[in-house]
Amino acid sequence: MNPNTLSVERLREAARGLPHESLAATREAALANIDETGLPTVRDEDWKYTDLSRAFNISNQWLDSQRAAHISDTLSAQISALTSSIDAHWLVIANGQIDLTEVQGVDAATVELFSDSGAPFVLDRPLADLNAALLSDGVRIRLSGTPDKAIGLLVIDETTGSVGVTQANIELTVDAECEVEIIEYQVSSGTADHYCNSIVSLNICDAATARYVRLQNRKVGHVQTGRLSVALGKRSRLDMLSVDLGGGLIRNDVDIDIANPESSATFNGLYLTGDDQHIDNHTRVDHRVGPAVSAQEYRGILTGNSRAIWNGKAVVHKGADGTDATQANHNLLLSERAEINPKPELEIYAEDVKCAHGTTVGQLDETALFYLRTRGLDHDQAKTLLVHAFAVDLISKSPVAAMAQHITDVVQARLAQLIGGES
Amino acid sequence: MLQIKNLHSRIGDTEILRGLNLSVNAGEVHAIMGPNGSGKSTLAQVIAGHEDYIVTDGSVTYKGQDLLELDPEERAREGVFLGFQYPVEIPGVNNAYLLKAAVNAKRKHQGLGEVDAFEFLKLAREKMATLDMDPKFLNRGVNEGFSGGEKKRNEILQMTMLEPSLAILDETDSGLDIDALKAVAAGVNSLRAPDRAVILVTHYQRLLDYIEPDFVHVLSEGEILRSGDKTLAHELEAKGYDWVRKAANG
Repeated sequence: MNPNTLSVERLREAARGLPHESLAATREAALANIDETGLPTVRDEDWKYTDLSRAFNISNQWLDSQRAAHISDTLSAQISALTSSIDAHWLVIANGQIDLTEVQGVDAATVELFSDSGAPFVLDRPLADLNAALLSDGVRIRLSGTPDKAIGLLVIDETTGSVGVTQANIELTVDAECEVEIIEYQVSSGTADHYCNSIVSLNICDAATARYVRLQNRKVGHVQTGRLSVALGKRSRLDMLSVDLGGGLIRNDVDIDIANPESSATFNGLYLTGDDQHIDNHTRVDHRVGPAVSAQEYRGILTGNSRAIWNGKAVVHKGADGTDATQANHNLLLSERAEINPKPELEIYAEDVKCAHGTTVGQLDETALFYLRTRGLDHDQAKTLLVHAFAVDLISKSPVAAMAQHITDVVQARLAQLIGGES
Repeated sequence: MLQIKNLHSRIGDTEILRGLNLSVNAGEVHAIMGPNGSGKSTLAQVIAGHEDYIVTDGSVTYKGQDLLELDPEERAREGVFLGFQYPVEIPGVNNAYLLKAAVNAKRKHQGLGEVDAFEFLKLAREKMATLDMDPKFLNRGVNEGFSGGEKKRNEILQMTMLEPSLAILDETDSGLDIDALKAVAAGVNSLRAPDRAVILVTHYQRLLDYIEPDFVHVLSEGEILRSGDKTLAHELEAKGYDWVRKAANG
């Protein structure tokens, strides 16, 4: 048997061992989908740069193992440190185990587990099927008011000795006219390999606003496929920042569905890559009606032997007149061994639209570097300052105030590591 | 303070400085004049330590040490300041941040602690007032969207904050209107002191009406052809650079 592909039979066997009979039907439907369509391979256009063999290999090792997930003292300590340093109501999913304690206390929130209702959840693509097949349980949160502080989603994993595979699935609904700040924090540690497959679905109802910050700081070497799908109501608004600092093989899919007019989505992203990192950001906006606005800007700083992919797709459907869609992707390549594959894609079937895209790939400005050095800054300090300057525009606009300082700190710390390694 | 002997320098395969000699003592102001392409800016860049300019022969001694052995940042911390002909725009790097980082880099080198943030801002605002600069420029990106005159004022602001021993101002007068020229000249004059020296690199005599040099040198084809006092500048203005070249060749 090929260790880099997943067999449906083995997945079914694992699914049978999972708790919550109420989810069995959804799991079985997911397995049937996988049986029919398979999981992504590099032969799929959308996956041509990102080979999930490693994720499936880890999954096979994990299926062979005892799979006893537990939460170590160090993991507990890490969770406390994180959740106490960032002011939010935290939902914690640690090694796949859900802790609702804090988030259940939020006045404006109704929280339930998928297993409570057994209602089926979205199975719209192979990785959602994989998620459903192996998911112990997921979380639905409905926000019917404006909470006093951000809702934090911490997805944290630790491997101790043997490999780990975890699924996370969170559905969030922001009711009409509510304003919510959301933090998605992805982090991992441990000695052995890990694969996390995570899904967040965000439904922003009419005239509601969601400000969303996603921070991925997984262990270099760990694998994650992550998805955020957003549905926008009439006159609703999404303001998002996505930051990728860690991880070995990372694939993010952001899908934004604009099926209601007068809505707007701003989503920006920053990725930093160093040796042995591969970060793939795929975004897709479907403009189904107009007028509506989508604007995205992703920036990447690549060092060492690393690779990043940015694929930004905007589809303006027939009749979506009054659409304003912009996409930008700018990259700073600090190493000859780093590679970026930027690809903007516009598909326009409507008539009255405003669409623009721009992509740049550049190197460090040597003249600016010399200028700073003539002011007494040493080479590394000057370089760090210039590289930071490339990112600062994006990260200084953190949609969630409680994350602003933290993002600045972790980005600076990671940049210092990456640039220290380059010089 | 600065002794340059038989300096040869090239960029790529092009030799630009061809045996330049110059001696600058503390307390002096020297003007280096010359036509375009004579090597004025190259001299400034070589003193500041630009790596694209390769020194093939000769020596540069600053305060008794081999300046060419030092990195650009070490030269800066030792008190060498280059005012750029084309100050670089650096969006995303805050002007006040750079100013403070520069002052602190020098202080650290001198074994001093970091500058007090409040005192620093107060001093920067005072200097800006004398340069007729809006204090808002402190919070902008370095030179970002500055006009030509604002960029040059910003160079002078950095210079007066850093209080260098040796300031080289590369075409600081170019593109300035008369108000900016006066402000820049006042900044330079405020720095004149017995323990400091200034090298003004300029194409025109105009700047020297406001900053009176002790010596004027004419640079042509990578060599100093003639040196004199400030009257040489007037003579040049009247007779042109060809006059010096012919006199040297004849």
